[in-house]
Amino acid sequence: MTVAPMIESSHLWLEIPQTEQQKAWEESQSFSTANRCWSAYLNRLSLNTFLPWLQLEYASDAKTSPNLAGLRSIWEVVNGVAITFQGMRLVLIPSDAIDLSELRVPQEWVDIPTWTADYYLAIQVNPDEDWMRVWGYATHAQLKNQANYDPSDRSYCLDGENLIADLNVLWVARLLCPKDVSRIEVTPLAKLSSTQAKNLLERLGNPELLFPRLEVPFTIWGALLEHGGWRQRLCELRQGIRKQWSVPDWLHSGVSDIAKATGWGSIQMRRNYIGARSVEAASILPKIVKELTIDKQRYQLCIQPRDKIEDRIWRFELRNLNPNGMVPSGFKLKLFTEDLKSFSGNQATAKTSVERLYVDVAFTDPEEALVWEIEPLPENFEREILIF
Amino acid sequence: MQARKSIIELFTTFLQFDTDKAIGWLTDARLRRNIVNSQARLSQIENSETFWVRYWYKIWQADHKSLAKGHLLAYLQETCYWVANKTVKNIYSTQYTLSDCFQIAIARIDKVLKGFKPDMGFSLKNYGSAIFSSELKELLRQQQEIDICTNWRLLRKITQKRLAESLENVGMNSKIMERYILAWKCYQMLYTPGQPTGTRKLQKPSPQTWEAIAALYNSQRLTQLSSNVPECSAETIEKWMIASAKAVRAYFYPNSISLNTLKGDGETSRELIDDLPDNHQESAISKIIIQEEQLQRQIERDRIKGVLVAALEELDRESRKIIQLYYGDELSQQQIAKQLGVKQYNISRRLTKVREALLLKLATYCKESLHISLNPPVLDYISTLMKEWLKLKFNHSNSEMEK
Repeated sequence: MTVAPMIESSHLWLEIPQTEQQKAWEESQSFSTANRCWSAYLNRLSLNTFLPWLQLEYASDAKTSPNLAGLRSIWEVVNGVAITFQGMRLVLIPSDAIDLSELRVPQEWVDIPTWTADYYLAIQVNPDEDWMRVWGYATHAQLKNQANYDPSDRSYCLDGENLIADLNVLWVARLLCPKDVSRIEVTPLAKLSSTQAKNLLERLGNPELLFPRLEVPFTIWGALLEHGGWRQRLCELRQGIRKQWSVPDWLHSGVSDIAKATGWGSIQMRRNYIGARSVEAASILPKIVKELTIDKQRYQLCIQPRDKIEDRIWRFELRNLNPNGMVPSGFKLKLFTEDLKSFSGNQATAKTSVERLYVDVAFTDPEEALVWEIEPLPENFEREILIF
Repeated sequence: MQARKSIIELFTTFLQFDTDKAIGWLTDARLRRNIVNSQARLSQIENSETFWVRYWYKIWQADHKSLAKGHLLAYLQETCYWVANKTVKNIYSTQYTLSDCFQIAIARIDKVLKGFKPDMGFSLKNYGSAIFSSELKELLRQQQEIDICTNWRLLRKITQKRLAESLENVGMNSKIMERYILAWKCYQMLYTPGQPTGTRKLQKPSPQTWEAIAALYNSQRLTQLSSNVPECSAETIEKWMIASAKAVRAYFYPNSISLNTLKGDGETSRELIDDLPDNHQESAISKIIIQEEQLQRQIERDRIKGVLVAALEELDRESRKIIQLYYGDELSQQQIAKQLGVKQYNISRRLTKVREALLLKLATYCKESLHISLNPPVLDYISTLMKEWLKLKFNHSNSEMEK
């Protein structure tokens, strides 16, 4: 430790608590290969160190986007963590490289329309000395205009010397040069059909394929990843996890851990409440619920069979969680096939302020898949594919 | 032995070291002829240092390979000496001499020249000092880290760019290099540390792992490499990785041969302008250089200084204390932490926060009063200089107090 005490002060240095390291390590063990576990470990160390600092110093409302469950499915195939706050989006790009020669940003963070961010932070993690530092940042515009695109691993590579070394500049620039363009438009990705997606997942879900990112053209790969439901399935296939998203299964044997991590849960209904509505069959079953935040208000999305499970008619229902709270006029509850196609009777719109908004849907084929969406979009919304 | 005075000296002479001491100035004959010719072409005699900095900088901008770089390199000798001198005192290692530190730092001249913004009107010396200082610390840190790592860990601790530069540095052609890089990617993909900490001791992969890496390489080469390249055995991949690690280590330690080329002409055309002084004079020489340096480098404009002083006065007591200890007494963050009884990282956070407030004030002033148009690179530049101004401000007020 001869040189260690000298810290170059342009960079933001943060200490990684030792307890955090063990925890992050244990939480990063379920990925398909040791390489992905290591990458997830560095991502988690960066996130768990940087986010509390950001919340304390600048934005108490800062959070990851998508949530941690969504991030796990990203880490299975891509390096990086996105954080949103005050309408701004940052992506942390962790690396344990000693040199600061370049920032290598996976194309996914730059060219998938809903993934792009304003700023990309170069993070160096040193797990052997319990610290990380932000050694510079670049904007989306900079990556698109100034970086070299390396097709061999689909990354935008920016010379270290072209980064802004002092993270303080980010905050000061927002105050003093607010017109500076950070993000530029990107080209839309391909539209995938359910069949295409199914074939892709079958192929890319094989964990023996070590570079799934590079197997198909980017516009197709990007479209597959952008859809939270498909990405989740890709991740599960690669990790050898099956059948996590069947709602009938959740009713019988409890909500799966993976779904719980995204906010799904089940609650037993009180008998008198059910009795009042005289739906006897449903009273035996719990209902499946997820809490959502829309425009700073808490809502609950609830799924339950309208009558008997065997009938395969299910109701999706949205309620305000505040006592006496309503679902405001203009809200829409929509259901789609997994490739986001509408079908007849797939949505309900609140024409006035209503107590609840619901859509009933009848399934005929086995293992049918649905994607739900609410307008306006809930905070940190991720598409998910539910199986009925 | 005198500190350099004339314009010709300032832009044509180089510090000469004897093991760990600066012992005199060497003139580069070609640079000398060049500046004499340039002076002759001017209609009037120019004795302003700033003029000549701008003059050579403009020429360098037009042609990076011109002699102008040599002139600017000569000009920055004291600045770099001062940085090396300060840094070597702060590392508890006998591994690095003053001369080593000087050479590591001066080798980063390109970064100084590339980053310098002459139109903003701030001095090259201040900017050079900031860059030499941060680069020197960074390179020492990197060398320390690679010394601790096994080859197997080192290969997982470099960027692709650094690997490519290292291989190029040992003379590898691009066709062979792309094979090495693909093999390295396969190595990274299949070999990772198996524990959360203590990863620097990562051992050699097992024969099975080498086989897997070779198999991956052989399948990837078909799609990833430009020409049809032959299959590769596990043994070959291992050899390539060992060679790569060696090349990377060599690249992290720029050697003295490459440094000679930085001085323009090489040894033969240079002449010694000072007699080698006796050893007992050495400390006096350092002193002269240092004093000279302090006289010359001031906070750029009195008004900038005024803004900085006003901003400092608005800080709370503890923040001011930290700034004073860090920039004035030049304590390390660790020493400050010890003195104040808090963790080092709290000091780092605190400094970051204080520097943000100061940067905001300075940048606002630059925008409103100096009419400098701001963007992130300009702000980063101001931030770099600000740290240098803080050092100068506190050093200056220290010496005033001594009077």
